[in-house]
Amino acid sequence: MEATQATPVKYDMDVVRWFTIAAVIYAVVGTLIGVYVASELAFPFLNFDIPEITFGRLRPLHTNAVIFAFGGCMLMATGFYIVQRTGATKLWSNSLAWFTFYGWNLIIVLAVITLPLGLSEGKEYAELPWWVDIMIAVVWLSYGFNYIMTIGIRKTSHIYVSNWFTMGMIVMITYLHVVNSLAIPVDWATSYSIYSGVQDAMIQWWWGHNAVGFYLTGGFLGIMYYFIPKQSGRPVFSYRLSVLHFWTLTFGYVWLGAHHLQYTALPDWTGSLGAAVSLAMIIPSWGGAMNGMMTLSGAWDKLRTDYILRFLVTAMAFYAMSTFDGPVMAIKSVNALSHYTDWTVGHVHAGALGWMSMISFGAIYHMVKKLWNTEMYSDKLVNVHFWVALIGATTYVVAMWVSGIMQGLMWRDYDEFGTLTYTFVESVSAMHPYYVMRAVGGAIFNLGTWIMLFNVVMTVRQAGAVRGVNAVAAKA
Amino acid sequence: MDYLHTDWSAMTTNDWQGVFFTVAAFVAMVAVYVMVFNPKNKDAFDSQSDMALREEGEYNNSGDKK
Repeated sequence: MEATQATPVKYDMDVVRWFTIAAVIYAVVGTLIGVYVASELAFPFLNFDIPEITFGRLRPLHTNAVIFAFGGCMLMATGFYIVQRTGATKLWSNSLAWFTFYGWNLIIVLAVITLPLGLSEGKEYAELPWWVDIMIAVVWLSYGFNYIMTIGIRKTSHIYVSNWFTMGMIVMITYLHVVNSLAIPVDWATSYSIYSGVQDAMIQWWWGHNAVGFYLTGGFLGIMYYFIPKQSGRPVFSYRLSVLHFWTLTFGYVWLGAHHLQYTALPDWTGSLGAAVSLAMIIPSWGGAMNGMMTLSGAWDKLRTDYILRFLVTAMAFYAMSTFDGPVMAIKSVNALSHYTDWTVGHVHAGALGWMSMISFGAIYHMVKKLWNTEMYSDKLVNVHFWVALIGATTYVVAMWVSGIMQGLMWRDYDEFGTLTYTFVESVSAMHPYYVMRAVGGAIFNLGTWIMLFNVVMTVRQAGAVRGVNAVAAKA
Repeated sequence: MDYLHTDWSAMTTNDWQGVFFTVAAFVAMVAVYVMVFNPKNKDAFDSQSDMALREEGEYNNSGDKK
């Protein structure tokens, strides 16, 4: 550490342990719901004519579960873990951290109740009722305030780059969530956005894409810049590049939202701007991905035996792939083919399954060993989880890419008389094999999360048993 | 060039605020590039590249100093 301490510091890791366990459980539940809704698209009878489990209601439950339950608990676990360890200090307020834990999980429970009941604001990734939006703002601010205050009491002079990414996320998500959620309440279940028409669409995707940019990318890059060096035992390849990575993402991402609205009522120049900046973002994104991978310079041999490192490095490959795929789709001529098709779903899941989940799984395994001061119950199961997750993610993404491009081509194909070659129903029918393939890929990925849950539970039990034996020995 | 035409007389206060913040963000981004790529700052940045690793030598998993 840069500044040595006179007295030992005791980290507040109990709340981190619980956030980590919660993240593991939500990974299982969130992807399981995803498998079910994917199966409903392939086999619609699975709706069983029960409104609460139809695709329209379960789909937002899936996205909320994986993004805010699994992703949120992951970001809070790693955030509180990293800020303490890189700052050589305990949390500014352990009580406030527990408030964040209980508050965030209460919100997740409310999502599980309200979304299947059909209570939705109709905004993508922001479906929850207005009063839950207020709760989200309060709990998120409790996390952010505690985090920033902990930075304030750190014992080190430098603020490590992971903390910059997390603070960037905290500031921007606060701003984005509040502005996007502004609404006039009518009753406890109903509210109307204060924006109308095209402004509403623009605000929606300003939020939507920046949730991807600052929450699912920036926050998880904070995880990457801490856990890849830790797991590989190598310093960051280029710290300069990591600083550049942070600032260019922060300045650049906010411009991208309009690329979701090409060929709509939005002014043409906004879509062009969104596409141009999207393409420019390939440079910092790939710079960051290379930075993560090159951190392994001189330690590549570790990939043969270190299964946790495999998760982390594979995540970087998917990050690079997603941050190339996305900008290409933002180009207007490509977007004309890809928009409204399953290509978008494939792109999103390359990021969600390949990047966000893989980096999370690596971080979870790393943290579980440290937090419970033990080895994993089974390293072989970590390896099995890696391959199952990789096969599942790849199957899913390939199915959606092929399906999406086929959809786009069928929708735009016309004959010599200028009429459409295919009806919409024919395109739906052609998708069926790929929808089945998607459900199978998702199920394989979900199987991996069950393996992780079993391994983590057994590891925690094993650590508890060892502590019990030691305590008995000490008393004797 | 028609595409780039701007009716400056029609600019509202909101429009000018938007222009100001856009240009300010662009200038700030250029300043970051200059700061990061300035050879004088290279050592200062890269000296932090092993920061995540340093804690391992001095503290155990509970945060107690070894």
